[in-house]
Amino acid sequence: MGPARRSSPTAGAAGEEAAALARRRQGMLLASPGALYLLIFFVVPLGLISVYSFATRTSTGRTSLSGWNVESYRAIGDDIIVGIIGRSAWLATLTTVLCVVVGYPFAYYIATRPRHVRAVLLVMVMIPFWTNALVRVFAIRFLLGSNGPASALSESLGFGTFRILFTPTAVTIGMVYSFLTFMVLPLYVALERMDWSLTEAARDLYASGAKAFWKVTLPLTRSGIVAGCVLVFVPSFGSYVVPDILGGAKTLLIGSYIARQFRDARNWPLGAALSVLLIVAMLVAVALNQRSGSGAEDGGRPRGRRRGPGQGEAETVTAVAS
Amino acid sequence: MTDPVAAVEIEGVTKRFGEVVAVDNIDLAIGDGEFFALLGPSGCGKTTTLRMIAGLDLPTEGSLRIFGEEVGMAPPDRRPVNTVFQAYALFPHMTVRQNIEFGLRMRGIKNPELSQRVAEATGMVRLAGMEERRPDQLSGGQQQRVALARALVNQPKVLLLDEPLGALDLKLRQEMQQELKALQREVGITFVFVTHDQEEALAMSERIGVMSEGRLLQVGTPREIYDRPASRFVADFIGRTNILEASVESASTVRLDNGALIEAETSTPAGSRVAVSLRPERVRLQPHGTTAAEGSSLDGEVRDITYLGHAVVYEVAAGPVSIEVRVEGEVGEPFAAGDEVTVAWDRGAAAVVAD
Repeated sequence: MGPARRSSPTAGAAGEEAAALARRRQGMLLASPGALYLLIFFVVPLGLISVYSFATRTSTGRTSLSGWNVESYRAIGDDIIVGIIGRSAWLATLTTVLCVVVGYPFAYYIATRPRHVRAVLLVMVMIPFWTNALVRVFAIRFLLGSNGPASALSESLGFGTFRILFTPTAVTIGMVYSFLTFMVLPLYVALERMDWSLTEAARDLYASGAKAFWKVTLPLTRSGIVAGCVLVFVPSFGSYVVPDILGGAKTLLIGSYIARQFRDARNWPLGAALSVLLIVAMLVAVALNQRSGSGAEDGGRPRGRRRGPGQGEAETVTAVAS
Repeated sequence: MTDPVAAVEIEGVTKRFGEVVAVDNIDLAIGDGEFFALLGPSGCGKTTTLRMIAGLDLPTEGSLRIFGEEVGMAPPDRRPVNTVFQAYALFPHMTVRQNIEFGLRMRGIKNPELSQRVAEATGMVRLAGMEERRPDQLSGGQQQRVALARALVNQPKVLLLDEPLGALDLKLRQEMQQELKALQREVGITFVFVTHDQEEALAMSERIGVMSEGRLLQVGTPREIYDRPASRFVADFIGRTNILEASVESASTVRLDNGALIEAETSTPAGSRVAVSLRPERVRLQPHGTTAAEGSSLDGEVRDITYLGHAVVYEVAAGPVSIEVRVEGEVGEPFAAGDEVTVAWDRGAAAVVAD
């Protein structure tokens, strides 16, 4: 009798429900330390920042948490600030485009090597990533300085010394260098998943090598490109260290400008308002990317289930992190 | 042969991947309009041979001509051939229509010819109405039809098929075998297909090339390959067979190693070591001591009986050798394990194969 009762439909459904509940509980338990950490050190400070963005700056540079207003947001419309935001967006775009241009062939090269060579090349990509960012940027500063090796080389070749440090060019070089890894890794993941018989099929169907790349490889690695662009664009837009060290005062970017509001200008509400703006802009960018990523078939490999929105990027990013 | 220009002509082609010789100096001519199978176990070089015809691999040595034109070193997009890939390699980011159009678009063919040819091809493989679907919304059989249409729409001079039915289940595979044959008759294009399935090769093709370890061992019609295998490997690989060690006595007799003298035609000189291939279904069991008017026989004892439904397989020990006898369409089992029997066969059933 016992087994027969257990297999009756109602009992089965109840058992299934209980199992699902247990699974949910277990999932929550596993996620709770991370969730708690993020709540305390990410959500709470973010909340504080948004509160401050509506506060008032007193004449002595203190922040008065009363008389809530949107003055700081209105100040963002100021020509200087708009100019800074525009310049930051332009530099971030340039950095992203250069990272794709440099990173794609590189990732393609790695992904098409034999397995053991790939592992070595990937470690080489990761090494700068594991080095202190500040050290790397100072190394670039030395390299590009008027007494540095680049200038010396140019002089010995008869082009004269050059002044590149403290220009937008120097900042761009530094940013591409700093963020290239974020581009190469997701691209590598996408290319590594690529089913090369598809490009062979394209060649077989009268496509030249370039056409096959354009029509097949590129669309099928789109999720990697999108993920890489988000991973590069977002930090370069708000980047602070690189432009501060390589850019000098002439290349004031939004990151440095915000830091300045909190430190020197003592205008916390404005700094906070700009931060909120930056975060909202990033969230919009990420959300747009997730929506556009939904149709991507990574590498064309057949999959068991259909992918949800943004899953491609999420997976790519996890693969990068591991 | 003084036939017109061969569709595919392979001459002294060798392919090496580093140290590994994948294809070892093969010569092969495939006629215009022929349905030709390259058959062999995995790793025998059949797929590499196909890929060299397609241009996806380039030969290390030798010459490769398609309708008389040397193409050995030409890139795949400059050859009048198209391929149906093993796992179909359909473009997952394109619809069925876009997949089928791909080759035509790459060659700059515009509407109305474009849409007319696509419609023809989709109709031919019975995919009309599926044009706007994506490959992942199709069944395996439908995907395979898309792959066929995508290749045939280009009207290639030769169609290459790499294990085209390998991904399908048995029933669908048998259906597609018939369909492929019908399709080939309809379009009249030379089909070269690669398979490791000997039954498929026998059932579908007009001629078969059997490959092993990079070499082309034998080329012939299914009947020639099955009845007159040129080597021990071919005899063993195609269907089931009994291989008996022997030496040649005369042009029409060989002596088995157990001492029995049997009739078999051979051109191998007397005294040579050979093997005799005896198909299980070409021999019969008789009560012990009865000899046939013609042909040869061996005495033995039934060791084991396997009932297969449509056939009964007897394992007969004749001295040191064991012979498999397959009896079909017989009611009941006239012999039991332990019975003394005579294994007999007609003249011509035994094939002498070189070592």
